[in-house]
Amino acid sequence: MPEKKKSRLILFRRTVQGGMLLLLGQWSFYGVFRCPFAVPFINCQSCPVITCWGRITNLFWGFWLSLPIIGLLFGRAFCSWGCPGGLLSQLSAKVAPFKLAGKNAFNRFAPYGKYLALLTVLVLWLVLNNPRWAIPIRIGEFMNSIHLTFEHANTAWLIRSLTVLAFLSAGLIFSNLWCRIACPTGGLLELFRRPALFSFYTTEQCNNCNACQGACDMGTRPAKSNCTNCGDCQSACPRNAIQFGRPKPKNKNRTTQK
Amino acid sequence: MVARSNSTNGQRRDFLKTAGAAMLASAIPWSQAKANEFARQSLQVWSCGGLAEAFMQANALYEEKTGITISYTGAFAAALGKSLLANGRTEVFAGRVLELAQKLRSAGKMVFFKPLCFTQYVMITPKGNPAGINTIQDLARPGVKVVLAPDASPPGGAAVLKLLEKTGVKDAALANTVVQGSCVQEIMTSIIDGTGDVAVVEKRLTRIPNFQGQTEVVPLPDNQQPPPPLPFTIGMMEDAQNPDLARDYIAFILSEQGQACFERQGFIPALSAKGQELVEKLGVKDA
Repeated sequence: MPEKKKSRLILFRRTVQGGMLLLLGQWSFYGVFRCPFAVPFINCQSCPVITCWGRITNLFWGFWLSLPIIGLLFGRAFCSWGCPGGLLSQLSAKVAPFKLAGKNAFNRFAPYGKYLALLTVLVLWLVLNNPRWAIPIRIGEFMNSIHLTFEHANTAWLIRSLTVLAFLSAGLIFSNLWCRIACPTGGLLELFRRPALFSFYTTEQCNNCNACQGACDMGTRPAKSNCTNCGDCQSACPRNAIQFGRPKPKNKNRTTQK
Repeated sequence: MVARSNSTNGQRRDFLKTAGAAMLASAIPWSQAKANEFARQSLQVWSCGGLAEAFMQANALYEEKTGITISYTGAFAAALGKSLLANGRTEVFAGRVLELAQKLRSAGKMVFFKPLCFTQYVMITPKGNPAGINTIQDLARPGVKVVLAPDASPPGGAAVLKLLEKTGVKDAALANTVVQGSCVQEIMTSIIDGTGDVAVVEKRLTRIPNFQGQTEVVPLPDNQQPPPPLPFTIGMMEDAQNPDLARDYIAFILSEQGQACFERQGFIPALSAKGQELVEKLGVKDA
């Protein structure tokens, strides 16, 4: 792919991310800092927080319905194209000194943490009926409300919120840590990665030089575990061996990690 | 020539001094006016979260009337009260439960308080009242699907259980419970979608925009109402930066125009005849 075209792809993705930040950013922020329920983004239809985006727009169901559709079409693309948390992680990755791309036990097994997070979410939601762990600040100045929420939340909510913040903050040191090993939505979407219709993939020209992995904030390669179809790997491939579309059966997951 | 030049320079200096003094003199009244304006630009108000919808309406009216910006926070009154008893700051506080206002007064945090309004508990059913709920005893009928939120904040949790206990149907109602939640707004959705046949909630919930007109409301008689969470008060805090403004705001909230906002949201205004009766009955007075 010509350099110009690749630059346009990156620019296009950043533009999409900016739009999604405007659309979902406030909701994401509320979810982490002000949602009184154990699992945010699920009870918006009956949320007592008057100013919550999910409640105001009544569009959150549309979001959740569109998520599996996006997953079936483009795998985990939401993580790198739409998620405000993903955007934050990617920006943090620009300065993170450790990419966690090497072959070792941690890099191999730690990503299963997001499935544990997903399981925890499902239990809290479906078994425990998503209990309320914090006192809802129904309306108020945002920063003051955050302060009050933290001040009066129970231990479980504090653990939940501080865990999210800790992983996001750790992304400044270890590239995309939250997205790779702790995000339950990422865990859900990872399940769609293999059956997804479209994805970035390597062609026969690939000689496994691993240049793509070196450029990847997720420390992976096209169509491999934790690939979010961001497309940044294309510009890194010296042989122009990475394409987007429906991979041929013999090419899908053909790449092997050194 | 030299003498004339010196004279001209002197005149210029005198002019500049005079002009400077004039500007300084004119700035003082402007600064004072600006300071006065700044002092009245905003007022911080905290209230029980259950009053939020009513206060939002009242605040909008007050802002339109006076130009003052109300910085409003609505949340669980006990939590806000706990903050205020520690080191939290606000200028006006409208809390629930008389005891909280009395504690704030005793601690020197609140200068005075007045009765604001009262809540009331009702039974709600899906549209059409499919289970034929008419009295609280109907919650004990076999087959009736009851919805409760025992883990919700006390006004929606413990107070409802107390009401059921007071009316002698607690055990049977618990046996009939099909949904137990931790948030009263979830109770509303469970009734609206038909999951449950009946729930006991504060009337205010039926007036929230998301739920208004979506349930049948069955009144409960006065002798079945649980006293402790009924009264709300409003008071001026010791930290009020502009006491006159705080008093003016409180007076507006307690005026007919302000009280109408609370009545629309399902509360009994303290100004009303019923409210006055409850003030006397429950002793909602600043000693």
